[in-house]
Amino acid sequence: MTKRFEELIGSDCPDLPALLDSLPMGMVLLDGQGHVIMLNKALEELTGFHRDDVRGLPCRHVLRSRACVQGCPHERPDGPGSSIETDCINRHRRKIPVRITPVRMTDDQNRPVCILDVVEDLTALKEMAARLSQVTGQGQIVGRSPAMEKILRLVPVLAQHSSPVLITGETGTGKDLLAESIHKASPRSREPFVRFSCGPMPSELLDAELFGRAQGETGELKPGRFQQAQGGTLYLSEIADLPLTQQASLARFLDDGIILPAGSAKPIRVNVRLMASTAGSPEKLVQEGRLREDFFHRITAIRLHLPRLKDRGEDLGFLLHHFLAHYAARFKKNITGISPKALRLISCHDFPGNVRELKNIVEFAAMICTEDTIRIEHLPGHLPGIADKPVPSTPSQTRKGLRKST
Amino acid sequence: MERRVLITVARDEVAPRFDLATEALLLTVADSGEIVSRKSFLMAHASGDELCDLALSRDIGTVVCGGIEDEYFHYLRWKRIEVIDSVMGPLEPVVSRLAAGALRAGDILFERSVTGV
Repeated sequence: MTKRFEELIGSDCPDLPALLDSLPMGMVLLDGQGHVIMLNKALEELTGFHRDDVRGLPCRHVLRSRACVQGCPHERPDGPGSSIETDCINRHRRKIPVRITPVRMTDDQNRPVCILDVVEDLTALKEMAARLSQVTGQGQIVGRSPAMEKILRLVPVLAQHSSPVLITGETGTGKDLLAESIHKASPRSREPFVRFSCGPMPSELLDAELFGRAQGETGELKPGRFQQAQGGTLYLSEIADLPLTQQASLARFLDDGIILPAGSAKPIRVNVRLMASTAGSPEKLVQEGRLREDFFHRITAIRLHLPRLKDRGEDLGFLLHHFLAHYAARFKKNITGISPKALRLISCHDFPGNVRELKNIVEFAAMICTEDTIRIEHLPGHLPGIADKPVPSTPSQTRKGLRKST
Repeated sequence: MERRVLITVARDEVAPRFDLATEALLLTVADSGEIVSRKSFLMAHASGDELCDLALSRDIGTVVCGGIEDEYFHYLRWKRIEVIDSVMGPLEPVVSRLAAGALRAGDILFERSVTGV
């Protein structure tokens, strides 16, 4: 076979190995059974194997790609010529992202000669994609709906200023993430982003937590959140839970940039951008007397509202696939999609817990899914319409499903 | 003294990749090279983490596998488990060489062949 291969090409190309070696991407020549005829130099470097050591071996043991193990590229219905992105583990135990393009080579009478797999190392491209997504992805907050796109467009603009920000929105809509995204996009991004949850605690302790405390006779200062956030951003979640006394202190800070540590008579100046969030309506909170009006008017210099998930239209599908890809990678599973029935069931849900609830549902499904597709039986039981669906519970049932998928 | 061995399996050969193996063969090998016990293990799904857990919970002394990622290799070594990796070959010849105490990392036990397309 090799002889015939070399005979066919030899007249025009007397030194085939040298030709293949001169190419920058990895190449492996295979026979009809998927046994290695030769590797070029680029693939020798990628896999760590010398061509003489692996000649005649099944290619799945040489390339060791996920695609080779979970469904040989040569047996795919879309046939040779279509690329697949996968990963391989080389002899040095390094996992490398690769793109494999199988090519069936024929002679001038269309008779098969051999199979050529082109293997490209995607490490540099993947690293660049990760770097770019970090730069342009606004931290971790994502969305495709018009409402979210409008907010995401504002983030880089708002980030350039130091005005206080109030973020409103129901629980689970991503208020914390949005605050962090604004910080990350701001000139303060190299400085700390300090998050403080204004849960119920004694007023004195809260003062010390927020503004620091002067200790002992020397008046040595134990830093509070403001001192920790020096130069950066302090984000207060659920400001409606903050006692009115502390709200007055914050209003003073927003006026003249100074705070008064607990147990000290000496105010100190701090350079901190203040952001806050609440799940309720600020106007209503003012009416109820839970939010000081003077603080409300100062903190709402910039006000952003995050819509509920069910008001975000196409975001449901987008976020579903976003989280699916995230958890599939985290749990090291090869989950590629979601069945139409499961998608319909999720789409009918109201999501009172908004994006956080969707994220939890996908995490659960990805955790228990043993196939390449999320089905109804993988969704959590509390979703309406799930209770009457069968769930594979016996080991034999599970094994059958698994056997099919492997 | 007996030693316990875990071999990752795919069909009737050593699995090409540790993290993608869904079957494992657990062996107890006596000093004399006799296979004292032999048990197949079917995993719920391919997972390198679970294979490591399996090796630890079964008091395995040696893992035999094909390609293995650095992090799993070093984790098992750290847990004082010997790892004979990059082994390529059909299961039975691998078991025989292992029992004889002659199996080494990188051993290739396939019969090499190149056929027509």
